Amino acid sequence: MKRKFLSKAASILMVILLVTTLAACGGKDSTSNDSEQPSKKEETTTKADDTDSKEVVKEIEKPEKIHIMMTTILTEENGHKQLIDKYKELSGIQLEITKPDHNQYYEKVNLAFASGDIPDVIELGGTNYTTYAVNGALWDMTDAWESSDLKASGIVKEQYVDALKLDGKLYGFPMAKGNGTITYVRKDWMDKLGLKAPTNYAEFLDMLRAFTNEDPDGNGKNDTYGITAAGLINSETPYDIYLREFYQDAKPDFYQKDGKYVDGMSEPAMKEALQRMRDAYAEGLIDKEIITNKTSTCRDKFYANQVGAFNYWAGYWNVNLETSLQAANPEGSVMPIPPIAETKYIERPPTALVITNKAKNPEGIFKYFIEYSHDGGEGQMLFTRGVEGVHYETKDGKTVALPYIATPEKLFEKALYSPELSITDFDDPIAFDERVTNSLKMFEENSFIYPIPRSSEVISANLPELNTLKNQIVAKIVIGELTVEEGIAQYESQGKAQIEAILADLNK
Amino acid sequence: MANINSTVTMKKKPLGGKSDLRTRIWKYRYFYIMFLPVLVALILFYYLPMVGIRFAFYKYTPFAPPTFVGMANFKRLWSTPSFWTAFRNTLEISLVNLFLSMIISIVVALLINEIGHLRLKKTVQTIIYLPHFLSWVVVASIFMIVLSPQGGFVNQVLLSLGIIKEPIYFLAEEKWWRPVYFFISRWKETGWGTIIYLATLTSISPELYEAASIDGAGRFKQTLYITIPSIMNTVIIVLILNLAKVLNLFESVFVLYNPLVYHVSDVIQTYVYRLALNANAPDYGFSTAVGLFKSVVSCMLVLFSNWASKKVRGRGIL
Repeated sequence: MKRKFLSKAASILMVILLVTTLAACGGKDSTSNDSEQPSKKEETTTKADDTDSKEVVKEIEKPEKIHIMMTTILTEENGHKQLIDKYKELSGIQLEITKPDHNQYYEKVNLAFASGDIPDVIELGGTNYTTYAVNGALWDMTDAWESSDLKASGIVKEQYVDALKLDGKLYGFPMAKGNGTITYVRKDWMDKLGLKAPTNYAEFLDMLRAFTNEDPDGNGKNDTYGITAAGLINSETPYDIYLREFYQDAKPDFYQKDGKYVDGMSEPAMKEALQRMRDAYAEGLIDKEIITNKTSTCRDKFYANQVGAFNYWAGYWNVNLETSLQAANPEGSVMPIPPIAETKYIERPPTALVITNKAKNPEGIFKYFIEYSHDGGEGQMLFTRGVEGVHYETKDGKTVALPYIATPEKLFEKALYSPELSITDFDDPIAFDERVTNSLKMFEENSFIYPIPRSSEVISANLPELNTLKNQIVAKIVIGELTVEEGIAQYESQGKAQIEAILADLNK
Repeated sequence: MANINSTVTMKKKPLGGKSDLRTRIWKYRYFYIMFLPVLVALILFYYLPMVGIRFAFYKYTPFAPPTFVGMANFKRLWSTPSFWTAFRNTLEISLVNLFLSMIISIVVALLINEIGHLRLKKTVQTIIYLPHFLSWVVVASIFMIVLSPQGGFVNQVLLSLGIIKEPIYFLAEEKWWRPVYFFISRWKETGWGTIIYLATLTSISPELYEAASIDGAGRFKQTLYITIPSIMNTVIIVLILNLAKVLNLFESVFVLYNPLVYHVSDVIQTYVYRLALNANAPDYGFSTAVGLFKSVVSCMLVLFSNWASKKVRGRGIL
């Protein structure tokens, strides 16, 4: 009995000892890990303190593979494989590209997040960027950017990076400038009518009156009008990107005024803008069909000698508009004009290249993909102009774009980033048509970057209904069914609940 | 034939339990094998996805796992006046369009059926089928030009005939939008709609017309008492099948509507599209709730029309 007891006691003691020892080992392990961690951090901190930032960057592990999901990247048939191979050759990193159709892009991105099959890098524009950021789906790259070689190099135009900051934090890096619309006018009509580019609203109206009433196309019929647009309010922010001469300082959106958000629709500036549009519409200076126009119909009207002025994208569209116009009217020519004194053009916030919070090595991706592709040199050339010998070639010291692989009738334009909208001091070896550079220069000198739109559940729940109401009221005012006062009163009473909810959310 | 007879015979027998079932399955094994792919496809593509209906009662965004919210999605849907306007518009536009479609297609089919010259008949058929193959975007562009208040063909004609003094902005005026929409829809789809009626018309026995003719019935009487009753079954089937789709109205409205006519043109799908466009994050739960609501209403419409058919004609199709 006694022996049995001793034997049991010895067994229990042995088990206790064993467990304690194992626990101690484990504890020792974790303690040693704990102690190692700070020492590792310290080491890093010391290095950061003692050496230049390049040595710290060396600590960043190079990713083996990066999965990107993008819609603006070149198509598979135009050289995915060549781009992937070249990137692998230059960086040693395997790039995996998913390119959904443009129309389904956000649907596919949303589904990727819903299903958990999340890529490392995606592109997000406007409200989508804000939504993903506030929902914690994106990696905060503020520190990575601040301590990056790229920032230190000074080649980045930082206003575009700052435009993507949300409450001081950066969740995405600009792919390119946001670009925006500029007013194009028929130069041949201006010359024929002896007009100069208008400098203020009164002169702008005079120009529209001349386009409308003085038979600028010379066909003897009263069949032209001043300006057209695809609707009175843009379908997404910035809502007032078109018709800048009429909106002027009005904003049909919620915006910060003296540190507090207000509804721009109820501001005096908006009432004045609506009155300007209403008067011009009644006078026949604005296209009667502005409510039902699509952008394609606007362009067609411009080519068909029906309209003299038209807000459209700066840059390549200058060339496209003139080429299409001249196909119908060889005498026709297009001219971008600076904004009138009362307003400026609007540049959209840039589309962001974001690293998702599921990426295993975000620091590495930032350094070896985002920084590299904006380096103003080899990396940017690859992700902008593509692969040498496939998308461009250099002969006798001159670099020229090659035709697209799949559509050889057109010259290759971009692999991922638009070269004409680079946010760095990228020394692009391929020359642009001067109409592209001129319109962009004019736009950049006379525009401001629109603030990134806010996002929240309250905004999501209330904004769609309010925007529907806003569209209805603005259309009814401009077409003459309601006076400005009646319309705004209707807007404020019918949209009261939504306006109050959004303002309360924005100002909390 | 033997198999069918056997089925009838076996139905008369009392069920013989498991062994009897096995015998029957073995006896008709080839039929079961032939049916198997259909069964698998039905389960995979029709029944299994129905599990997703539960998300109508969940909040489900890309950023968090689905959370049960009860009827919240439906309450959100029903709480806005714009939804009920859209619901009413959907029913009104769809039902009017459905009845117009039926009547015009039947009349056109009867007229085509009367054309004796075969080549002319084929030519007419081909011409009226063509608009069906145009996309709604193209059709909308064509009619925007034709109906334009700035030099559009229709306004030019009306002005030159002195019928109007000022051009009409057809697509932007509430009183004109629906008539214009119905006209465009019929222009596009009438030809296609006649196919099924023309097929039914060819199956009517000529002997019936010969007998009626001997009895002194003219063309009109023959149509009234032979043709129309003969195609009535087809009419009911087409009506019931189309009723199930009345809430699926989107593209045709989307390409033709604008903010000035939302009050008479906005339908459920365009309303939901605008919600999604302006919403910051997709809510799959809400989208599923909209889909479920539409399905329930469609199902009710189908059951109602089947019930009405039984009451009036003594039989339905379900």
